[in-house]
Amino acid sequence: MNTLTSYDWLKHYVDLKGVSVEEFAKRVSLSGPGVEKIYPQGVDLQQVVVGHVTSVEKHPDADKLRLASVDVGEKKALTIVCGGLNLAEDQWVAVALVGARVRWHGEGDLITLEPATIRGVASEGMICAANEIGLAEAFPHAEREILDLGVAIPEMKLKAGTPLADALGLAGDAVLDSEVTTNRVDAMGVVGFAREASAILGKKFLWKPATLKAKGSKKGAPTIHVSEKKLCPRYMAVRLTGVKNGPSPWWLKKRLMQAGLNSISALVDITNYVMLELAQPMHVFDVARLAQGKKGLEISVRLAKKGETLKTFDGNEHHLDEKTLVIADAEGPVAIAGVMGGERSGAYYDTTDIIFEAATFDAVSVRRTARRLNLYSDSQTRFEKGLSPHALPDAIARAVELALDICGGTVVGSVVDERAAVSKPATYRISTKEVDERIGVSIPKATQIRSLRDLGFTVKLVGGTIHATVPWWRDQDIESGQDLVEEIARIYGYANIPPVVPGGTSLLQVDPSIRMEDTLKTIAAGAGLTETYTYSFVSDDLYRKAGYDSSGCLHVQNPLTEEFAFMRTSLLPSLLQVVAENQERAREQRLFEIANVYYPPSTSGVWNDLPDEHLEMGCAFLGDNAFANAKGFVEHVLATHGITDVFWKRLTEKGGFWHAGRSVQAFKDGALLATVGEVAPNILGNMGIDGRVAMVDCPLTSSDGTGLFTHAVHARQYTVPSPFPESKRDLALVVPDRTEYAALSLAIRRVDACVASVEWFDTYAGKGLPEQKKSVAMHLTFSAPNKTLTSEEVDALIARITSAVKKEFGAEVR
Amino acid sequence: MLSDTLTGLQESLEKAIKAASSLAELEAAELRFLGRKGELTNILRQLGSLSSDERRTVGAAANVVKVEGERLIAEARASLLSAAAGAVAENEWIDVTEPGMRPPQGHLHITTHAIREIGAIFERIGFTRVRYPEVDWDHYAFEALNMPPEHPARDEWETFFMEAPAGKKGRMILTPHATNGTARILEECADRLKAGEAIRAMNIAKTYRRQSDITHVPMFHQFDGVCVDKGISFAHMHGVFDYFVKAFFGKERTVRLRPFHFRFTEPSVEIDVSCGMCGGTGMLADDQKCRTCKRGWLELGGGGSIHPNVLKMAGIDPKKYSGFAFGWGVERTYMMKEGTKLDDVRTMYKNDVRFLEQF
Repeated sequence: MNTLTSYDWLKHYVDLKGVSVEEFAKRVSLSGPGVEKIYPQGVDLQQVVVGHVTSVEKHPDADKLRLASVDVGEKKALTIVCGGLNLAEDQWVAVALVGARVRWHGEGDLITLEPATIRGVASEGMICAANEIGLAEAFPHAEREILDLGVAIPEMKLKAGTPLADALGLAGDAVLDSEVTTNRVDAMGVVGFAREASAILGKKFLWKPATLKAKGSKKGAPTIHVSEKKLCPRYMAVRLTGVKNGPSPWWLKKRLMQAGLNSISALVDITNYVMLELAQPMHVFDVARLAQGKKGLEISVRLAKKGETLKTFDGNEHHLDEKTLVIADAEGPVAIAGVMGGERSGAYYDTTDIIFEAATFDAVSVRRTARRLNLYSDSQTRFEKGLSPHALPDAIARAVELALDICGGTVVGSVVDERAAVSKPATYRISTKEVDERIGVSIPKATQIRSLRDLGFTVKLVGGTIHATVPWWRDQDIESGQDLVEEIARIYGYANIPPVVPGGTSLLQVDPSIRMEDTLKTIAAGAGLTETYTYSFVSDDLYRKAGYDSSGCLHVQNPLTEEFAFMRTSLLPSLLQVVAENQERAREQRLFEIANVYYPPSTSGVWNDLPDEHLEMGCAFLGDNAFANAKGFVEHVLATHGITDVFWKRLTEKGGFWHAGRSVQAFKDGALLATVGEVAPNILGNMGIDGRVAMVDCPLTSSDGTGLFTHAVHARQYTVPSPFPESKRDLALVVPDRTEYAALSLAIRRVDACVASVEWFDTYAGKGLPEQKKSVAMHLTFSAPNKTLTSEEVDALIARITSAVKKEFGAEVR
Repeated sequence: MLSDTLTGLQESLEKAIKAASSLAELEAAELRFLGRKGELTNILRQLGSLSSDERRTVGAAANVVKVEGERLIAEARASLLSAAAGAVAENEWIDVTEPGMRPPQGHLHITTHAIREIGAIFERIGFTRVRYPEVDWDHYAFEALNMPPEHPARDEWETFFMEAPAGKKGRMILTPHATNGTARILEECADRLKAGEAIRAMNIAKTYRRQSDITHVPMFHQFDGVCVDKGISFAHMHGVFDYFVKAFFGKERTVRLRPFHFRFTEPSVEIDVSCGMCGGTGMLADDQKCRTCKRGWLELGGGGSIHPNVLKMAGIDPKKYSGFAFGWGVERTYMMKEGTKLDDVRTMYKNDVRFLEQF
């Protein structure tokens, strides 16, 4: 989480003399919070100066405009045309001189002011409204109301001509936008950040906690009941009366503004200021607005009751449930613990009698409440990271100190402190040798100890072992001796730890499917296919359109959208969708994807265990010869994987995903290697695809040892080629047109072992052939292991072949 | 006189060779004068009628004619052949600027290219590729990584849960990071570690988070490395990161480690790479702020020394063994490399062929 911190403010708590902002950012980023951006302050106020309005006259030509004579410290006063309703003589104003950059009426980009003639009168500058010079958050105002510096900042030293940035104390300051890790809420506070910087830069830490002297008597102090000690381990409250609320002084407004917070009123601003300083959220209640109980002023910390509601100060009404921790008075909830205060009991300008609250709330409870109510705040952000109960006394003391200073009044009664058992700070040990080993460099013992001490640890060295007691502001973070390694290493500087590539090797075996997947991708791309990456989760709609059943699939409980409803069991619907989406621009497509599919565990078939994640290849071919291309690709893949003697079996199941007349499956030793076929026309229709699409579904791995990768032959065996020349003959057979080539070629090969191969090269039907007949042309190769076959011997083999196919298929030689 | 005849024959032969304008004419000349039934043979047949002295003289002269003739013919043949070769330019002209017959060109997805490149770099320094479930128990995604149930750190991973009953190892989830592989490999290899084998592995896997915007997609890829052995230190982690950054982004790039916080590592670091656009200065040549980086640095990802609790959960003694782990986004890392010009990660998973065919 990021935090905005004024460099000037940091300087109050750590001695940064001689350290530039840039240098600070660079060095602190390497060892602590990462400074991501630096915003120099007051740069937008160049050429804006303090001016004194010496006279105001009517504009000769406009009712809504007036002419102000403004002293800006020059010999001659400036004449400025001004439309401000509150413009008056003897007023101190912010004057933008020619060349200043302002935002017209607080809207749009910054523009550079030029000399202008307004309704016939030359204006030598502009008297600014707060929103025209970026100060609206500190000084909210009505339309056409200029910034009256004397009213807005009564304490300001007014001198005509002083650059406004100087007068506001912004010049020379910078705001650091830094990332603070979630375990370091303490460093979100200026004091914690300063402590970090002090340890990192070796500069003196200057912060001293405020002290609070309260009377011992309980009289007048509120009674606190904490019924949920686990959810609220500590609650502190202090009452002040006779306070005067109102706008905050400029220095306080400035700090809030720089941190990106709005100024509300002095009392509310004080609670936010303490939060920014000490990272401990606070709250202020108006006693007059709290309902008194039987015993007077009673505050309880309890779970909300069914039906209770609370209107928070952002104006929203919340229905509370029995899991929500609230702060309540006799009437009902007045705040959602750790998240936001209620509108009814807050401090307003008329408030005179208050209670400051500082409490510790359970991080998980705050986090869940915020999520449940969808209500977030600066307090909640800090509480849900986990805060120390020990932070409260300093925060209460500081708030009281500021309130007495700014708002006056007196503390009534003692400070109330309700808390669960006090825990002793933890001490962790690690030897300096172990620290060196973990970091990989030798760091002197004294340096190790100094780093920890600078960060606030109490350290003892006993026989080479560091005993470090955790300071309270780190008690939610430091959990073991290993945490001390981090503290020492980062203060030493990660950049100072030399990079060393570890030697040796690991004997881990590579999962063979990783290599094979990679090789198969190369083969597929080499064969002209383009790889897609589609999401592992798919929608019901897609599965339904593709004719798949999603009921057995593993569903996502909290899908992002219905598009990602469940884990797919096939890549084909997703691929089909890609084909559909691309068909307008690509009428020829050859796609493939290799990814996991998710089946119910094979052992049980129900979701009592993790899914079987099978690696699968899916392919899609759109365009001419789609089926032949798809099947040819599968044959190519099988061949490149050394898989021979594949048995192709026609898939005849009707009404499914596959075209019942144009699909086939490849088996090896009874195991399915691939399904290839055209997609059924009705499915293509559902998907809105025009034209034929052939697809491939190829299981690659599976828990039961099937899949293409299982059958791949890795170590190829060498067969000595026959020293005797082969004989080649072509043979064309006329057969009934439904005769399958696979059966025909098998019959030919079975005739004799000397038939070395049968290779299809053409099928013809039509002119010159009878109806319902086709001619299948093949190259036949003959060879014998021990001799050269004579022409007569080959002739005899051909004769045996033709007689065999005639008998089996009624085939005639063409 | 035979010697005169011989001289005449030589002259005629030379004339015929010179006159031959084609290989066929040259061959005819060779046959006529030097062939088995040619004129030279004729002369040699008459040698018998001469005295032995004359026979020797004429025989030697005839041999000279033969050798010289053969040399001239070879020369003439070579020159005719080269002339013919020159002529094919004219006779056999084709339009060579027409496109060739290309094999169909396929394309691998940019993510595959990224995984290959990243995996190969880590393989060179001994990280073995491993594979673990994408749907896993939350034990391996959180508990085993030092994030007990209800720990707020779990919020940082917008996790998808499965509609399945919880088991002994918690709820079934889609892995929000590939570090579940680290938890599993530590558990699997605890015994082998005791036997003296080091763990150095890399899990590159699909990961899932409930998010979708210009820099996030609900499914993406992470590469997650782990190294455990006796004596593994922060310096080794620094070494591996430095090696990767220089190998992947370029020798001139530098790595910067900043403190960070993860539950499963301690110390935890965030790894930055110096920006290639501005040379790590944060400012461009025209004195403008670099828009690519934050003050000269690009965030690569997180890592750190493995938390002792994580080792303990896997049954590894953190007093004896130590290590480091890191997990970075494949897409993000690849997009950080200049030149891809990909500014919307969602483009990568839309599968528009006009995108796919560019890689």
